[in-house]
Amino acid sequence: MKKYLFINILVMLFFGSSVHSQIKIVTTIPDLKSIAEAVGGDRVDAFSIATGYQNPHFVDPKPSYILKLSKADMFITVGLDLEIGWVPPLLNSARNAKIQKGGEGYVDASVNIPLLQVPSNVNRGEGDIHIYGNPHYWLDPLNGKIIAQNICTALTKIDPDHRSEFQANLKKFNDAVDSKIKEWEMKLSKYKNTKVIVYHNEWPYFEQRFGLKIIDFLEPKPGIPPTPSQLAKIINLMKRENIKIIINSPYFTADAANLVARNVNGKVVTLGTSVSAYPSIKTYFDLFDYNVQQLLMAMQ
Amino acid sequence: MRMIQVLLFQGVVVSFILAQIQADSSAVADSLLAIELQAQMQNQAPTQTTTPVVRSAPTTNPDMSAIGDFRTLYSTNGSRNIETYFNALEVQLSSVVDPYASANFLFSFGRDSLNGDFSAGLEVATLTSISLPYSLEVTLGKFKPHFTKVNILHPHAFSFVEFPTMIKNFFAEEGIFMEGLSVSVLVPNPWDFYQELDFEVGRSFVNNSLTNGTKNDLLYIVHLNNFFELSDNSTLGVGFSGLTGPNAFIQRTAMTGFDITYKWKPVQFNTYNSFTWQTEGLVSMSDTAKGSTIKSYGAYSMLEYQIEKRTFIGTRFDYAGLPGVEKSADRTASLLLRFQPTEFQILALEFQNVNRNYAPNYRQVVFRAIFGIGTHAAHAY
Repeated sequence: MKKYLFINILVMLFFGSSVHSQIKIVTTIPDLKSIAEAVGGDRVDAFSIATGYQNPHFVDPKPSYILKLSKADMFITVGLDLEIGWVPPLLNSARNAKIQKGGEGYVDASVNIPLLQVPSNVNRGEGDIHIYGNPHYWLDPLNGKIIAQNICTALTKIDPDHRSEFQANLKKFNDAVDSKIKEWEMKLSKYKNTKVIVYHNEWPYFEQRFGLKIIDFLEPKPGIPPTPSQLAKIINLMKRENIKIIINSPYFTADAANLVARNVNGKVVTLGTSVSAYPSIKTYFDLFDYNVQQLLMAMQ
Repeated sequence: MRMIQVLLFQGVVVSFILAQIQADSSAVADSLLAIELQAQMQNQAPTQTTTPVVRSAPTTNPDMSAIGDFRTLYSTNGSRNIETYFNALEVQLSSVVDPYASANFLFSFGRDSLNGDFSAGLEVATLTSISLPYSLEVTLGKFKPHFTKVNILHPHAFSFVEFPTMIKNFFAEEGIFMEGLSVSVLVPNPWDFYQELDFEVGRSFVNNSLTNGTKNDLLYIVHLNNFFELSDNSTLGVGFSGLTGPNAFIQRTAMTGFDITYKWKPVQFNTYNSFTWQTEGLVSMSDTAKGSTIKSYGAYSMLEYQIEKRTFIGTRFDYAGLPGVEKSADRTASLLLRFQPTEFQILALEFQNVNRNYAPNYRQVVFRAIFGIGTHAAHAY
């Protein structure tokens, strides 16, 4: 009797563990992790390489990430060459065919995203130009729905048995986006067409969604630090156009933005560019809650 | 006279760097025009809707890059003190071959220091697996093997202008090259830290310690790399290397080496500040035709600090014996100032004080400009 009980326990443990085995997901940025968790629910175990307060263009490809990737079932990337400086050496060393480009577990979250700023020709003299278009598309919450759809499709391929669960989670996520977006748009509607200056060209999707007007950048060219001549130009521009808001990102020092703000009696608003940029931003929805709140406080 | 030459040379270099910094100091008048244009563009820009934009056409072309290395130096060694020359051009092609492997080719057009002529050479040609089970990776072809940490780097990827003296003395200007097979495995361990074991076998190219052998005497190399994340901002890498290969005495040379690298980079502002300390050492034991073994040693320790987004300073101390020669050694102290306007251009000024107990001492100042075009594969951490 004891023998049968022991065998039963072993069988239950074996099947139990396989039933509950989670899909291991590695994402490049925390926003993709947050959306993957929303769609995958408790079927997924997600890890983000970059933190929310880190510049996603410049992440160090530490060998410890290779270890994570070597065990991953799925890899989700922003794509559009945003991570070209650090993802290729990690993927090349991961020794995991599932997550290589073309593999079942490779997810380019940018598929089907309506891209902005796709250049017709490219010259490095223009700075860090992304040849496929501006890659900061997750900063439009409507694009979050497309990202979620891409993740759902990949999850369904890897784990077709839980298709309905993923679909249900996707619908829940999409409904939440639709509901929240109305709230955010309503809150910012009063400030539609407010002119702003931003540090780096990473807000066009946010601008389009919420009706801001980005007039210029503190960087003279993408990726080139602010120069005295550029700051002088921005100060003149802000005075002439009566622009009072400068949007900074957590990973750019605020020195240049503060200098300009002092000269024009303006305000520097540091918005989150990703989930976990600040402790209160725990999910994709928190990111927009935080940014909308910060903008409202600055504009009032 | 020499002093004036040095001052002139340094003046030119500093002017060049300052010119890079000030490159964007356009006049206010220009900005007015730019503003007008910007305003017009803003007014004319169509409302961006959710209409999908066609992406750039996909291509199966490999990533292609060309990297130039130009140098100017002043040295107190010998009678010809000033040199200015284009040192080398590296052309690289790399791509995935198919779902199972990737390939990398690197051609070098190097300058002969004696006659100034350029000759082309194949530095690297490899096929590397990407889908083997058990965390295995196999590379075959011509490559720079994993003996020490610095050997696998190409000169443009190293922080300092001059490669460590131990590499130059024991091997060659750019280290060891070999043709053969490299097998690498991620070693599973209960602490779940990154541990990679490399085993390499093949024929060495002739250098100061090794020959390509006369019979079936191959070069064998083993390297164990351990990597620890001490915190979000700091990491520690510790490696051990060993090799045995044929030498010029038609005997064998055995070497062991270690490397320690500590890096600090604040995650949030990692593009502004960083600090690296790297130390490596090796012991060489060369069997001679007379049946004796000659021991010699080499080591270096370097510090590098990024003081702002584009500027780095560094210092390095080298001690390097000569393979197969007892009691002869170089002791070198280096100072570095590096300015990187972008990822595609590196300007560096390096001072070296070289003390040798087998030849005259000398000092030198080297200016190097590295500039790259095309798509160059990102370097490993």
